[in-house]
Amino acid sequence: MMLSFFDQFMSPTYLGIPLIALALVLPWTLYPTPTPRWLNSRLLTLQGWFINRFTQQIFMPINPGGHKWAVMLASLMVFLTSLNMLGLLPYTFTPTTQLSLNMGLAVPLWLATVIIGMRNQPTAALGHLLPEGTPVLLIPVLIIIETISLFIRPLALGVRLTANLTAGHLLIQLIATAAFVLLPLMPTVAILTATVLFLLTLLEVAVAMIQAYVFVLLLSLYLQEKRL
Amino acid sequence: MPQLNPAPWFAILVFSWVVFLTIIPQKILAHNFNNEPTTMGAEKAKPEPWNWPWY
Repeated sequence: MMLSFFDQFMSPTYLGIPLIALALVLPWTLYPTPTPRWLNSRLLTLQGWFINRFTQQIFMPINPGGHKWAVMLASLMVFLTSLNMLGLLPYTFTPTTQLSLNMGLAVPLWLATVIIGMRNQPTAALGHLLPEGTPVLLIPVLIIIETISLFIRPLALGVRLTANLTAGHLLIQLIATAAFVLLPLMPTVAILTATVLFLLTLLEVAVAMIQAYVFVLLLSLYLQEKRL
Repeated sequence: MPQLNPAPWFAILVFSWVVFLTIIPQKILAHNFNNEPTTMGAEKAKPEPWNWPWY
């Protein structure tokens, strides 16, 4: 019974078209491209405000050399937030539940921060592997541990996003099924379950935005680390 | 878990990066902002209503 609930994450195809392609391309119709005119529509102003404030927030602690990452991280935030939020609608497919997509985003971006750090300041980048003030005897052990923690970052980044969204969708489906099945048997319990479902959906909305934000924030933190 | 099926992995990777590199930055870069981003001052500006164009 449990396995069939995972079927919602199979990359669906309809008439030979993989629907993940639609799920990746269509959300951007909700973001009109701004024209050079100064007074924009309400939607455009809201989106511009969001991008502006978000970029300012993320890049304030990063020294100016790192600001060339602004487009990348802003696009990433918009990308992830839209995909996550739209996936909460009924009958939609959330591409960010696919481990391939999240790892495909996490690994290259993390690797870029590491490589840039190694190129600009190799000594300091390697020096991050050993925290200050460690006792001499612990040095080899700690270097191994820090290396492992460095390499686990992209894995954690990708899997965190995948797992959070997958778990959320799975829970929604489970509780919805429970409420539906309970309706003829124990209506009171069914109504309680429906309330839980409602609250869970609100949580999922929050999680959708938060997870996207965490992804981008951690990347900016890795960037900060490497450039300092 | 169907996500672990490696068959569409490369296609999804390529496709998502194509979307991520072409469509989105173009839309984001087209936003132009009038003021430099600065930290907000102590006093809050009183917002005045203005007419939004309807479309």
